[in-house]
Amino acid sequence: MPRTQPNRVTLTIDGREIEADEGTMLVDAAREGDVEIPVFCYEPKLGEPVGACRMCLVEIEGIPKLQTSCSTPVRDGMVVHTRTDQVKEAQESVVEFLLVNHPLDCPVCDKGGECPLQDISMGWGPDRNRMVDQKRHFEKPVPLSPLVAIDRERCILCYRCVRFSQEVSEDEQLQLLERGDATFVGTFDDRPYIAPFQGNITELCPVGALTSYTYRFRARPWDIEQGGSVCTLCPSQCNVSFTVRDEEVARVLARDNPEVDDGWLCDKGRYAFQAMYADDRVLGPEVTSDGHSTPASWQEAEETAAEGLASAGSRTAILVGDASNEEGYLLQRILRQALGSGDIDSRRGPGVDGDAALKLADPAITAQTSDIDTADLVIVVGTDPIQSAPSFDLRVRKAVRRNGTALAVATDRPGALEGGATEVDRFHPGGAAAFLEELAGKVKRGRAKTGLAGLIADSEQTVIVWGERIVQGAGGRAAVEALVDLSEAAGLADQEGSGLIGIPETANGRGLREVGCLPDAGPGLSPTGPGRDAGAIREGLESGELEAVVLFGVDPIRDLPDPEGWRRALEAAGHVVAFSLARNESTEFADVLLPLESHAEKDGTVTHPDGRIQRVRPSARRPGEVRPVWQVLTELAAMLGSSTGITSTPEALEAVASAVPFYAGLTDSEIGGRGVRWQERPAASDLGSPSPDLTLYATAPGPFSPLGSGAAGSEADDLPGSFEGGGSGVDDAGVVPPEESTSSPPTPTNGQLLLGTYPNLWADQVVESSPALRFLVPAQRLEVSGPDATRLGLSTGDEVSVRSGEESVNARVAVRAAMPEGACFLIEGTPADNGNRVAGEDGGPTLVEIGPPEVRLELVTAGGGPEGDEAA
Amino acid sequence: MSVRPEEITVVPRGPEPGGKGGAYRAFGETLRGLRTTMSQMFTKPVTIQYPEEKTPVYPRFRGRHRLHRFEDTGLEKCVGCSLCAAACPAQCIRVVAAENDPENRVSAGERYAAVYEINLARCIFCGYCELACPFDAITMGHDYEMADYNRSDLIFTKEMLLAEPIERAPLRREGE
Repeated sequence: MPRTQPNRVTLTIDGREIEADEGTMLVDAAREGDVEIPVFCYEPKLGEPVGACRMCLVEIEGIPKLQTSCSTPVRDGMVVHTRTDQVKEAQESVVEFLLVNHPLDCPVCDKGGECPLQDISMGWGPDRNRMVDQKRHFEKPVPLSPLVAIDRERCILCYRCVRFSQEVSEDEQLQLLERGDATFVGTFDDRPYIAPFQGNITELCPVGALTSYTYRFRARPWDIEQGGSVCTLCPSQCNVSFTVRDEEVARVLARDNPEVDDGWLCDKGRYAFQAMYADDRVLGPEVTSDGHSTPASWQEAEETAAEGLASAGSRTAILVGDASNEEGYLLQRILRQALGSGDIDSRRGPGVDGDAALKLADPAITAQTSDIDTADLVIVVGTDPIQSAPSFDLRVRKAVRRNGTALAVATDRPGALEGGATEVDRFHPGGAAAFLEELAGKVKRGRAKTGLAGLIADSEQTVIVWGERIVQGAGGRAAVEALVDLSEAAGLADQEGSGLIGIPETANGRGLREVGCLPDAGPGLSPTGPGRDAGAIREGLESGELEAVVLFGVDPIRDLPDPEGWRRALEAAGHVVAFSLARNESTEFADVLLPLESHAEKDGTVTHPDGRIQRVRPSARRPGEVRPVWQVLTELAAMLGSSTGITSTPEALEAVASAVPFYAGLTDSEIGGRGVRWQERPAASDLGSPSPDLTLYATAPGPFSPLGSGAAGSEADDLPGSFEGGGSGVDDAGVVPPEESTSSPPTPTNGQLLLGTYPNLWADQVVESSPALRFLVPAQRLEVSGPDATRLGLSTGDEVSVRSGEESVNARVAVRAAMPEGACFLIEGTPADNGNRVAGEDGGPTLVEIGPPEVRLELVTAGGGPEGDEAA
Repeated sequence: MSVRPEEITVVPRGPEPGGKGGAYRAFGETLRGLRTTMSQMFTKPVTIQYPEEKTPVYPRFRGRHRLHRFEDTGLEKCVGCSLCAAACPAQCIRVVAAENDPENRVSAGERYAAVYEINLARCIFCGYCELACPFDAITMGHDYEMADYNRSDLIFTKEMLLAEPIERAPLRREGE
């Protein structure tokens, strides 16, 4: 279904000649021609118009009755009048009718001042109210959910929220209940509306019926300023607009960018701004001396940090989590140029290395986000977008619902998109590579008529959304090869609008790779002397081979596999410099703690998973003594003896653009408010050419030559394509590494299950620090399949412990249908019972045993134990 | 170039000094002036002994603002809608609203003004806030004595505006 250029038609509205695309609704065509037609229920983002509110009635010559312009497509030669007496009378009647039951409490109502009903009443309504009877009354305001309050008296029954719930987020929880004038919006049995995108309904509501608890009565439209920026809490990088009052963020609104987010925003992006003002935020530099952390001046903190790094020299490593392109670039430059080390990583474990990233970045096989809308087939591999990048979830749903796109989901863990999928394939954790290889083989042979291969053969425009999780672990390299093979076999390169979209693990994962935060690749993915990856950095620190470590926006004790190992590593490290937004377990080990800016305060660029470079702009004041981080990094670089010459943010961007060949010439004005995909710029042809920066770097090849090796000290045994990685992280000695097995699930013995972990959108420190979202913080749960549960004697709600080697975590059992047999799943990064503790050392799958729960002081473990005992 | 007659302005000369006319002008006019003085000597002085005495003001005089409570319930009339702040041309009003606790109400509606500040150093006493207020919660009072030693002391808080002012400005009586 390639994009087609629609015909243009000419029509007359109020005597003006207006040209519009064929099929456009009259109201949109009128807007293009500067004629305003008032609307309440019309919202193209919600799908087909419903014509519920009757506000948009217009007179069309040749049709005796007035027509709703929101649901009438334009025709060539149409003559439309929007200001005749008949239309005016209809408009006044509609407004009067809406106001029959709408309370006039505008001074109290939060929507006052930005309310479409106010505006339309002023512009098109009668100036008198003939209504003398009682208006309808409801209890108000009542919570629709912990985040949204509903005032049903104000509701004008435009259906927008209900349509959003049913046709966009497809959670189908909001309904119109009762009939006639007793109709109201609600949920079945008055249950709270719990859905990850519910905040959008407060923005859709044209009156003050739905309001966010976080913004209730906080400000009026004339008290605030809007600052457009980009949300960097997940890889979707939705465009947002910060509502700033008194220089603090008071609300986050979606900023419609059809190429990125389609105008939607998830609740994390909308409400997690509260973390910026939480008590655990680091507000100024701190230096630890004699075991006590004390506030220090920036000068002192930077000098202490620089001293420690300088004395460690090339025995320094950097871990990058949440950073802008500029910050990432400066970090790797400090490390490679000033310290002569190459040990920098921005991934969870060995995953997409420089070579693989280069292959996958080929513009011919990358799709852009909006290609999903028009694709014939969308394949989601190894990711559940609702957890990893929520706006992709809505995008895929939209394609399936509105354009009849076929959806295929191939994951290890059952995900949210499967309900609407044409084809669901399941592999066991770590089995993605084998699955993709098989699939690529089938597609290549071209004989498949059924299944996923058949779908691919039938489809012209195919978009593959894949999660980077599948290329982690020892089988990762094979998965990358398989993915490239598959895209070749499916001919993605030749078809317009086809391609791959890789969802990285961190918000700016792609940008960080491209500016050089990889152990084996510098800026522009140019190969450099190999350095240690995250796992090897941990082991290097523990063994004393590495002296100092810089943690930048990452909490390894929580976010990375093997938290206990990281705890030991940070304890053993001679010098830890932590840049962090908030205090966490890892910052406890910091010798120098430096504050980071939040995404409402930062000025920099980030790169979307589809290659769109977007700009994060500062909107709010930096609290406390927080300073621009790029400035701090340039000062650190200067103290370490390699001055960058960067004195402003445009210069920082310029430095990135000149270091990354395919970003060349990029400027703020080119990025603009909507971002620009580097694949669409002329410089994209420089992909693969070496970065001019490489001459600056004195990166000597480290003692670790195997790229992407999770195990330090092991020989170069996991070469590309090799699966035999003996020391590759699975610590159950003698157990067959899961990657070696084929696509059939392994048969675990003695109550063992193959554990996969998955990121949960809400298992994140910013969620815990946001009071509004705290109710969403997940408790650890163990997902198992029905047959496994029966075999092990587990049932939903049981408390068990999941043990791998020395480590174990407690979890509640959730028996799920559609789970791969023999596998189980835990959440990564939960505040308690972190799944990372039992995950494979390289982030890949591992075998675990299920047993009775570990007794804790605060827990009374009465039930749930016996079944677990039997299992063990 | 000749001057046309209509362009000529004739300036009449004053009377010559001296003589009878001169004597009249010197004493007669003085006496006439003194008559006014003498007649005023026996009337009440219009001077007001400020600050011991205050100028009475008209009922609609726009002095310092006052916030009001409902007389029966004692609740604040202000619901913190910020319309006064929107109307204010000097931008001297700052309102931060909050949600009422049904157990412990501050105002009658759902919201109330948690912070209500008027910077009287900036206020131009135009009375637009009073006009904008949908609940008659803010009115312009009669107090005009607002001098202070610090600018910051001129920022009046909600408590100060709600407090019953010490009546210092007398009201002008009917017909006065």
